[in-house]
Amino acid sequence: MKLGAPRVFAAALAGLLLATVPLIAHHEILAKFDDKKPMTLNGVVTLVDWRNPHAHVFMNVKDAKNEVLNWAIELESPIDLGENGWSRETLQPGDAIVVEGWAARNGTRQVWGNSVAVKATGRKVMTVVAKVPPPLLQARPTPRWPDKQPRLGAPSPGSAQGYWAFPSSTALVENGVTAPMDQWGLLKNIADAPKVAPLQPWAQALYLERQRRFLQDDPMFLNCKPPGGPRQFQQPYGVQFVEDRERKRIFVLIGSGNSNYRIIQTDGRTFAGQVGGDDDNPLYYGRSVAKWEGDSLVADTRGFNEDFWFTNGGLPHTDQLRLIEKFTRADFDTLKYEVTIEDPGAYTRSWSANATLRWVAAEELPRFLCQENRP
Amino acid sequence: MRALILIVALTLVSLAGTAPVQAQEGHPLKGSWIGTWTGNKTHGNDVVIVMNWDGKAVTGMINPGTDNIPIKAATLNPTGWVVHLEADGKDKGGAVVSYVIDGKIENLPLPNRTITGTWKSQKENGAFKIGRQ
Repeated sequence: MKLGAPRVFAAALAGLLLATVPLIAHHEILAKFDDKKPMTLNGVVTLVDWRNPHAHVFMNVKDAKNEVLNWAIELESPIDLGENGWSRETLQPGDAIVVEGWAARNGTRQVWGNSVAVKATGRKVMTVVAKVPPPLLQARPTPRWPDKQPRLGAPSPGSAQGYWAFPSSTALVENGVTAPMDQWGLLKNIADAPKVAPLQPWAQALYLERQRRFLQDDPMFLNCKPPGGPRQFQQPYGVQFVEDRERKRIFVLIGSGNSNYRIIQTDGRTFAGQVGGDDDNPLYYGRSVAKWEGDSLVADTRGFNEDFWFTNGGLPHTDQLRLIEKFTRADFDTLKYEVTIEDPGAYTRSWSANATLRWVAAEELPRFLCQENRP
Repeated sequence: MRALILIVALTLVSLAGTAPVQAQEGHPLKGSWIGTWTGNKTHGNDVVIVMNWDGKAVTGMINPGTDNIPIKAATLNPTGWVVHLEADGKDKGGAVVSYVIDGKIENLPLPNRTITGTWKSQKENGAFKIGRQ
């Protein structure tokens, strides 16, 4: 078929739009849906399920045999939809809509909704524009406590809380290595897998298997397992540091997952009785003790369980995992996160990765709870 | 002894029926496994295996708490996820029974993954299948 200029233009525009569809969701969309299988559905809304981690619109669609089938349209989270002005009331049962999206890999009647339009008006609804951090006009000084120690959390007592988000890297890659991947750690070129980290043979094979399966076995996706380890800093809803100086501990509130928290002890305690991990009670976030080295908080974390993926992308770890994390508030708006991974169970040597996060001022963490609609 | 193994096995099976399998995203062999080594007249048809990974070697025990057969050699070849286990037990008369188990991990990404293959000793052999609990 020969395409005329308008069609070529339309196709190019559609391609451009598809390429810029903001994907914010709590997991790799390609794990469940196939971007090589676009489809369009015309039908009538039967139900709107407004729950995290994803809102769903159910619709009746007539097939080629004129039989009515019910389809589920998966959308971004209610949090992201709400921030863009949409609500559970935006669509009502009985509304005629046109959906463009990607078919489910497993052949079920599920579609990732790239576009939802009200048929009568053509109005696009449930669109989500990915948030981007505001440009920094100038570096502001690091906020400090009266004793000059940097504040990792709110800049001053009584001020609005604020939190850290917009990670510069959303999956672990060893420093100095170039291995392009999407925001959920899916490699653009699977041949890069051996470069990502110094994996033991079994761990490399498992990492490859996870990559080949588009990360669909991610326990955070399947069962809302917490994003332990560095993964807590790779999520779309950020983290908040609450410094309890009186009791010498820092709470890290996790904006994604199930709104869990992690405690970093700064009271000088050691790992006595827990060295090598706490076998009786291994944890998703491990046990962290930390001390200040100059302007950096250095945390030593051990005692992880093996029930989760410690980074987007599915690099394996074992219960021998130990993390040395260095947090430095380089200026008011920038948190440097440097992590060294020691795990002789999965890696041939220790290795390091870095990222930065941006300060989100005057906002509380989004109230996201993955388990609202997950087992 | 066999009755005890059967009780342990049935208990594990009943627990598995009521509770979700604990996720295990680390080394694929680590954990408790239960299943059958069909035709084993020496140690019974049912088998329980517990394995661990220390970063260098797989260690473990067959029928812990009952027959206590330590695994003396265990390998996992990630190419095809091929498993090889060797263990020396004893029969009722105290004679050494050397087991060799060869199998392959199936459903690798799932917590209740399985190892399917064969087992053999000096006198017997048969099909082998265990599932992670």
